[in-house]
Amino acid sequence: MSGFAIDPCEKCEELLQSFLDRDLSEEERAVAEEHLDGCDYCRKRYRFEAELRRFVRQAVTEPMPLELKLKLAELRTPLI
Amino acid sequence: MGETAPETEARKLAEDARDRVRFEEEALELADQVYRVARRLVSSREEAEDLMQETYARAFRSWKSYQPGTNLRAWLLRILTNLNIDRGRRVQRAPDMQPLEEGDYFLYNKLEESTQAPNPDEERVLERLSQDDAVSALSAVPHDFRDAIVLVDIGDFSYNDAAQILDIPVGTVMSRLHRGRRILKRELAERALVDGDDVE
Repeated sequence: MSGFAIDPCEKCEELLQSFLDRDLSEEERAVAEEHLDGCDYCRKRYRFEAELRRFVRQAVTEPMPLELKLKLAELRTPLI
Repeated sequence: MGETAPETEARKLAEDARDRVRFEEEALELADQVYRVARRLVSSREEAEDLMQETYARAFRSWKSYQPGTNLRAWLLRILTNLNIDRGRRVQRAPDMQPLEEGDYFLYNKLEESTQAPNPDEERVLERLSQDDAVSALSAVPHDFRDAIVLVDIGDFSYNDAAQILDIPVGTVMSRLHRGRRILKRELAERALVDGDDVE
């Protein structure tokens, strides 16, 4: 018997974030993996979510301006 | 032969100075990572730079309250978050409790619909999003939810660290994170679909 009671894809959608966060119980994880093995629809959406997280992280990352780095270094306590 | 009182005092001062210099160096080495988070907790680069300077000034003043061996990056972010709230830059608002109809597949489904190719792969679908879409969508997420996303997904903090930094229960971090990511995806979908309309 499948671990999903009603719509398996809907249940799989609910587990998506926790799955990628590695925050599922072993049992839930096994249920999700079993479904993903046989469901191209959900597998695509899981892969997309993982890629999306990487994309957003890179897209919103701005390097620290060099001048700021120098200003922070100047805040150090003088040695004497 | 034991040390005289002045010698003991001098040795203590020297040890203190050495520990302080080490602390300051370690904190500065983390500045890039702290800035990456700070930049997305506030809305402008100027605010982020001011906040970084205030944070480091305070951290260097109160370095003795840091417990060596604990997470220094989280300690710095805790200071930064408190300063951000104290200075009233961050207008506290009630969390967005409107029902959110969209589930986690919403963005993919919307983007896939708008892709010309039949049954596109996920890389092709992701190409519908631009860097500007990501920046603007993240800034449109309400503060409480955005804080959780920025700390966990951008800053790589654990749920527990994020809970300590924000001074909220771990369960609240998790629920804000889950809801926040869905709000972010809704915002991304809106932007990507508008961009697509412009092209047509």
